[in-house]
Formats: sequence, structure tokens, C-alpha cells
Amino acid sequence: MSALAQPLGAPAAPGVAPERRRRRLRPVEVTPTREQRRQRPRALAATIAVSGVFAILLAQLMLSIQLSEGAYRITAAEGQLVELSRSSQVLSENLARLESPQNLAAQAESLGMVVNSSSAYLRLADAAVLGTPVAASAQSGVLDGRDSNVGNVLLADVPLVVPASAGEALGVAPTPSSAGPLASAEEPTGPEPLPAPITQ
Amino acid sequence: MSSDRHTRRRVAATVLVMVIIVSAFVVRLVDIQVVRAADLATEAEARRSIPQTLQGLRGDIVDRNGVALADSVYRYDITVSPRFVGDYTLVNRDTGEREKHSVWDALTAIAELTDTEPLDLLERIEAALEANPDSDHAYLVRRVPTDVFQQVRDLRIPWVYSERMAARTYPNGQVAGNLVGFLGTDGPLTGLERRLDDCLAAVDGSSTFERGADGVRLPGSTVVHQEPIDGGTLHMTIDSDVQWFAQQALAEQAAAVGADWATAMVVRVRDGHIIAAADWPTVDPNDVNSTQPDNLGSRIFSWPYEPGSTMKSISIAAMLDAGVTTPGERIGVPARYDTINGWQIRDAWAHDGLKLTTAGILMNSSNVGTSLLGERLTFAQREQYFRDFGFGAPTAVSFLGEESGIVRPADSIDGHGAYMQLFGQSISVTSAQMAQAYQAIANGGVMQPLTLVTGCERADEVTHLPEAEGTRVISQQAANQTVQILESVVTEGFVGPQLTVPGYRVAAKTGTAEVPVNGVYTSERIVSVAGLAPAENPEFVVIVTLGKPDTMKVAAAAAPPFQQIMTQVLKTFRVAPSTQPPPRLPTTW
Repeated sequence: MSALAQPLGAPAAPGVAPERRRRRLRPVEVTPTREQRRQRPRALAATIAVSGVFAILLAQLMLSIQLSEGAYRITAAEGQLVELSRSSQVLSENLARLESPQNLAAQAESLGMVVNSSSAYLRLADAAVLGTPVAASAQSGVLDGRDSNVGNVLLADVPLVVPASAGEALGVAPTPSSAGPLASAEEPTGPEPLPAPITQ
Repeated sequence: MSSDRHTRRRVAATVLVMVIIVSAFVVRLVDIQVVRAADLATEAEARRSIPQTLQGLRGDIVDRNGVALADSVYRYDITVSPRFVGDYTLVNRDTGEREKHSVWDALTAIAELTDTEPLDLLERIEAALEANPDSDHAYLVRRVPTDVFQQVRDLRIPWVYSERMAARTYPNGQVAGNLVGFLGTDGPLTGLERRLDDCLAAVDGSSTFERGADGVRLPGSTVVHQEPIDGGTLHMTIDSDVQWFAQQALAEQAAAVGADWATAMVVRVRDGHIIAAADWPTVDPNDVNSTQPDNLGSRIFSWPYEPGSTMKSISIAAMLDAGVTTPGERIGVPARYDTINGWQIRDAWAHDGLKLTTAGILMNSSNVGTSLLGERLTFAQREQYFRDFGFGAPTAVSFLGEESGIVRPADSIDGHGAYMQLFGQSISVTSAQMAQAYQAIANGGVMQPLTLVTGCERADEVTHLPEAEGTRVISQQAANQTVQILESVVTEGFVGPQLTVPGYRVAAKTGTAEVPVNGVYTSERIVSVAGLAPAENPEFVVIVTLGKPDTMKVAAAAAPPFQQIMTQVLKTFRVAPSTQPPPRLPTTW
């Protein structure tokens, strides 16, 4: 209770007659002093504080939403990673068996490539030719249309790039015959070989 | 004061409320821990920790260029939980409708993808349920490749699971199949897979996860107790392209002459690395069941045989080193040579006596001449030279099942055998030992131990097998003279034209060995050609052996594969062609 506020009906001054007291009743105005006015809490400050608290709470909520969204994305990405590594496995297995020498030789010769059986080298340092170059003939291939004698069961369902005509090997035999004469010793009548480049 | 009483009343009320709440908790606690303990424990059994083995991957075997000869891949076992098998509904991802699927639909789809019969799958499920009505695990299809597994998983059948297994694949098939070996159900069975298993083997890890009562794996409950450790990569000295070429050339010729078996070896002279070691017939480690048991290993290391005249190079080299002869020494070679008990040694062609130099004796492959020269070495000296050249003991490769061959001791050998061994009968060697001996002659008399494996590469450390020191077997001069004499086999011998490689000087020796059966020599032959090139500074040794050919029983049968393989090797390693013409040593007088 403020020291200055006085209850209604209390004598204004001691010793004054009660009749005078009743006639001189007038409302008491409680007026805060300047210091009291300054100490009063402001509405603006309150609004700012409360909205600030709400803003912090909101920010926390948004952050945790972002985090969980990120966690979901991480899980999805991990799932994708597993799937992609599986695909890469399948592809690299395929690549490894297609890279095997039996398959490369069979595919190359089905395209008409031949092996250069003479040993001649070009030394780039001084453009010297070492050895005697001899042009390869159309029959210089290693397989020459015969089955590869080195089998590979993993190539059982790999077709030749250029399908062979009748009587020739269709691909790399999964298990070549281990004894007995060669499959076919006649000249290959295969597909047209690649056209020879015109060189000067 | 009344306010005090009010306060006390409020405090009492609060305490009362708290006591009620706490006692509710206590009652619940007693209920769970004491009253319903047994029931809840049984219920908790259903939610149990499942232990899982994390498989480590077995290490690869690679050739000298990093090409994988043996590879670890993943395969998948498709499993079911039989007690949950039943019709199910799925939401169709395209239309959004719920569709019913029956068990038979599911099994048919799986069977189609995995190339099996749906009835078989149904039988397996029913058999599992018969054995145990609460069965939780049965195999449907085993060892399915990754793409098939992905398709089965995309069927989204709720009671179908998968287990990932490590498996082995050999992408190059029969290439180096004899060396690499293969795995059985329990582990490696042959070859390097078995011999060097401690490099290749992986250590499994372990983890546990929790699974609910309905069989659903609880996410986030996986705990890895031990990480798996993958095996190390094994590095071989083999070049897979040269190996393929050697196998191809060998197989063609061996099949053409009807041989029972054949071997071809390519060894690099300067360090003893085995570039190719081809066997025929050989095994495809992907498909072991279709190979005869005899062909599952490597005859190069494990089938000793009497080599025949290719041994003459070693004998003459030994005599040159001992100083008991020179290449130009003139010898009158008679028609036959008597040993003991009326036994005689004759040459492969009939003659009445020849005037040959030592070089001519080796070039013409005269048994009589070799025996005549052999008199100058004691039995003990002969045995010592053979053992120095590595015969009678396994090579440094110590391949699985490698044999040492037989070099008869000097104190127990008879007077006839002691001469026969000089030209390769009555002594048994393996192809690997012969290659090692020729490598010593080619390397100026210094023998480098044969090497097939250079090291084991693990994630944390690389173990290189130490480069072994070479041992001097004969003097450099003796080795050079021997190589020069062997060159004349190619330039002047009658098989020479089939052995020449255009552009290079080649030195070689042919051999036609008789095959003994129960101590009696039969009409079977083992023919071989052993050679080195370029002769002025040998870089590679190639040895081709054909066992028991039917149509062509002379050494010329082994000449075409030798020439093809030597040509290919010289091209692959870009050996410079020879520039000087070969020397001509006098062979007759």
C-alpha cells in the first residue's frame, strides 16, 4: 500500500469534526510518481519478449523439421547407394567375363581382325624400323573361325558381335572338346572383313 | 492464523494427490515385475536378438598386370519364413489399387525369375512346415546373382527374405585354371587358392539385430560387434594374355597329334618369373564337375617324366663347366656304346661312326657321343651337377602337390643308368624343373629360383615375397658356349626351320623320350622342345612338352607351339630383334 494513498473515510487531519469529514469526502487520486511511472512494465517490451520466445520456439521447430528431413534424405540416399553398388557389381562381373582373352579373340576375329605375326617395331625416338615388317594375311588370325580351345563357361550365352555363318563357331565354347581333331580346318568363309584403309 | 490453516490444507491436499499417483505407479510396477513376470518373459522371447555373420570377402588373385583371375562376388539365397506364408495384398504402385496375390502367384513369379519349378518351391515350404510348424526359415533358391535377386525383391512378397553370400567367380575361365585352383563346399581344394589360403582367406565379423514378433526387422537395432576383415590380393607373375595364347596354341597341336597331355612354360630369364604355365587338358574353375580328376591340377609341377634329349644341354653344360671338354673338341663317335652287362647305347639314327665336335654331338643329339664324353665325369660329379641344376628337389614355387622327380644317387646307380641319365632317360623331372635348368643356362649360369607369386597385398600391409638370390650353377663361359651350341640346332639342325622366329636368334633343343612302363621302355614317346631367345642375350625360356602323341612321335610335333609361343612372347614384351648374325660353330671335322 502506497504511503500516500489513504483509505476513504480516514480523517484528513486529526482533530477535525466528523461532520466536516463527511462533507469533505472527495475521491482520492492515486497518482504514481515519475520513478514509479518509469518502473512500470511496458507493453512493447512484453510484446517483444513474448514474441521473441515464440520465435525461438518456432526456430527450434523448423530446425528439427529440417534435421529430420535431412535424416530421411540420408536414409533414402543410403538406400540408393546400396542399389547402385549392386548394379555396379552386376556390371563389373559382366565386364570381367567379357574382357577375358577368349572372348576378345573370338569377337575380334568375327569382325575380321587378324594378328600381325611378324615382329616389326617402330622406334619413335629416331623413326627406325626394327625387324622386317610383313603384311598380315586374312588367315593370320589365332582362331581362324575355329572354336577357342580355352573354354569359359561364363561366356556360354555371350553371342559374337558379328554373327557367324553356318559351320563356324558361334561364340566361345563353354567347354571345348579335350581330345580329338580340330573342329574345322577349312578356310573360314566368314563375314566380310573390315575394309582396308587406304594409306599412302 | 486462518491463512496458515489454508496453507496447511493446500499442502496436505497436494501431498495426498502425489501419494495417489505414486502408489498407482507402484501397483503397476508390482503387477509387471511380480504378477505377470512369467507371461511377459515368454512374450519377450518373440522379440529376440538375431545374430548375424558379416561375411568378409575372399581376396582376389590377379596376374602381373592386375587382371583378376579369381574374384569374389556376392550371391543371394532367397529364403522364406514358412509360418508366415499366405496370400497377401499389395498396393500396385502404378494404379494405386490394392491387389490380392496368392501363394501360387508368388511362387510362379519367383520360379520364372530364378529358372526353377514352382512345385519344387512349394514342396520345400511344405517340407519345412512338416518338420516344424513354427519354422521360420527355409531356402527357396540358393546362389542367385544380383540382378535376379533385385527382381525377386521387387516382387515385394512379404514372407520372402534374402541372405547375402560371398561366392567365387573366375572371369577368365580356363586361363590359368590349373594354377589358380578352385573352391569346394568347405574351402579351397587345389592350386594357389589352397596353397596360399592364409593370404586370401577373409575373417568373418558378427552383428546382431532385433526382430519383432511379426518377423519385421526393427530399424536401427543393428549392432556390429566385429567388423569383417577382407582377404588380401594375391599377385601372380603370370601374364594372362600370354597364358591364354600358350594354352590355345598348345591345345591345338596336342589335339592335332592326339597327345594324352601337354605342358608349356614361359619363364623370364633375368628373374625366374613364370610368365605362362599352360597345361592341357585343363580345368575351368567355374565348372569343375565337367573335368576329369586327372586334369584338375597342374602337370607342370606334379607329373615327373623322363625328359629325353633336352637333358643333353645340361649334361654338356656341366662338362664344359667342369673343363673336361670344349665346344670345338673333335670326337670320333662310334656306332654304339657298350656300358655294362652287354647293354648298349645307340643313336636315334643308324650310322657307322661319325666325326663330330662336342658342339656337333649336342647339335645332332647323339646319345653315343654324349655317353663317350660322359666318361670324363664321375658318377658323383654327374649327380652333383643334376642336383645343382635343381633336379631331384621341388622348385622354389612349392606348388600344391609338386613332385621332386628322381635323381638316382651315385652310389646306387648302375653303370647303364648312369649314362642314360646324361641324355634324359633313367632320371625323372617335371616341366618346371626343366624350365628352371634352362633358365640357369640362359642367365649366364646363375639360376634364379622360379617365382609364381610376387606377394600378398592386404588393406593394411603389403607383403612382398623376398627376391631370392640367384645361385651360380655353372660358369658364365660354359653357359654362353652352351647357348651358342644350342643356336646351331636352330640354324643347322633339321627341325631348325620349324623353330625359327623371323627377326630373332633362337637357341633350342629337341627331345624325344621313351616312356617306361614297369621298367620296360614302350613305344610311347614324350616329345619336347626347350629353347631360349634372343640367343645373344636370352630373355625368355619356352619349354613345350607333348605327352604320348599318337600320330607324330618325333620332337617336330612340339615345334609349332614352341615357335608360336616364342613369337608371341617376344612380341608382347617388345624384345628388340637381333641385329647380328649367329656364329657358326664347327660341328664336324
